[in-house]
Amino acid sequence: MTLRQAQAPEADGKGTPIQGVTLYSFTRAFHAREYDLDQLIRKTADEGFGPGLEVIGFSSFRGFPEIDDHFAGRFSDLVDEVGLVRTSLAINADVGLRPDRLMDQEELIAYMRRQIAAAAKLGFPIARVQISLTPDSMEALAPIAEEYGVTLALEVHADQYASHPRILALRDRYEKVGSPFLGFTMDWGATVTGFAPSLIEAYRRRGASEELLSAVVRLWDEYYEQGPPADQAEHGQRFGRFIGLAHEHGRPDLGIDFGINGTGLFGPARVDDWLEIMPWIRHVHGKFFGIDENGDEPSVPVADLITLLVDNGYSGAVSSEYEGWHWNHWQGPFEIVRGEQAIQRAAAEAAGSRMITDAAEARRTLDTHLAHAVRI
Amino acid sequence: MIPDRIIEQGTLSVRDGRAAVEVRLPWYRALPASCISAAKLTVDGAEAPSESLRWRMNDREFTFDEMRENTDEWWFPTDSVVLSGDVAVGAGVHRVRVDLTLYIPYIIIDDDQVLHIEEHDEKEMEVAA
Repeated sequence: MTLRQAQAPEADGKGTPIQGVTLYSFTRAFHAREYDLDQLIRKTADEGFGPGLEVIGFSSFRGFPEIDDHFAGRFSDLVDEVGLVRTSLAINADVGLRPDRLMDQEELIAYMRRQIAAAAKLGFPIARVQISLTPDSMEALAPIAEEYGVTLALEVHADQYASHPRILALRDRYEKVGSPFLGFTMDWGATVTGFAPSLIEAYRRRGASEELLSAVVRLWDEYYEQGPPADQAEHGQRFGRFIGLAHEHGRPDLGIDFGINGTGLFGPARVDDWLEIMPWIRHVHGKFFGIDENGDEPSVPVADLITLLVDNGYSGAVSSEYEGWHWNHWQGPFEIVRGEQAIQRAAAEAAGSRMITDAAEARRTLDTHLAHAVRI
Repeated sequence: MIPDRIIEQGTLSVRDGRAAVEVRLPWYRALPASCISAAKLTVDGAEAPSESLRWRMNDREFTFDEMRENTDEWWFPTDSVVLSGDVAVGAGVHRVRVDLTLYIPYIIIDDDQVLHIEEHDEKEMEVAA
């Protein structure tokens, strides 16, 4: 790798995204105690799924967000030893921690501060935060992000999307606040093109009829044609129609499941909707649901999304986020992640650039990407 | 989400008219006691009275009333907890059912409504030696 090669894609404005994975993709294996955290990190490196490594704090670290010095040192040594690069620590805006009332702003900021401190201590440059944070909360968190040197990247996730009023309100506030430490995590679940066939197969294995499954796919396709719901009322109506279909076909037990997945997991926005917030995208969840027998992702337009990122100069990390593990009990996650990352790399090359797979180059590129975070 | 793993196979135990079984979290991340809203323990169709239920987590035993405001004790995704209650269990094979209601604290579904999920699992097992 020469310096010229490393810089070449930037000469024409094309981005060089950093390949990586979130350990969330391997939830089923971790939950089953097949791999502990150390083993999963080693497996990630051995499989070549990095260099980017994303971790969910509350999933992987016992006692999170309390992280003692000994643990932080050991974690850092392990990540360095296996040649991975910390990209994002997913943290949670648990405003409903007490089910009887929501946290007030002061409690929420204190709760998030502890997690941002944990991200810094563990060496993550980005903390993924969530839509339960309002523009006011993000503004209040900006100085804390700056204090710890951790960028807060709020996840834009189905059932919302980049041009959703809530996301635009956040974007407008970022612009006003002007902190380079505020941004978004793009989650590909917002721009899906079809109901995942692997989930249809899971319903088939639960005894759903072919007529019902065809009707579910047709209904989702109808919503795709209409685009994402304008408001919560329309969202609710769509949810209700999935439940109705399940009743009409004698499987009311599947109705809520259809509704949750059909409206909450597979977001029907178009790929170019992301242009609304492109300059504020600091991190990407390469959300996907499965790889078919042709080596394609049949419901997430992975190649189009990578092309969009490359063409718009994005050189941050893309964490492959395999979510089909919820229902796919018959295939292992590792081969599936391998398949999706191959699509990403091929798409980046077809777009006239490449994915970064070298750890040292990834570290340099991520530093530059974050240093260039937007300050209007 | 992982409901098939709620009951740990082979962990049914009986003592002094109470049955106990090991239970796993059907979710991907740790949740505090305050988000574990309710449980049911049913053996061969007989449900343990709710006031008799106890939840043993991180080596401490709680009633559900005691867990309601507790944000200090967390259920880690790879840990088993022990759910016990007053229900008679004799020899032989039993049908054990566990129902759980969990709050997901970052998913706000309405102005001040937090998403809750209801999951259950049923397994046949003998009383462990």
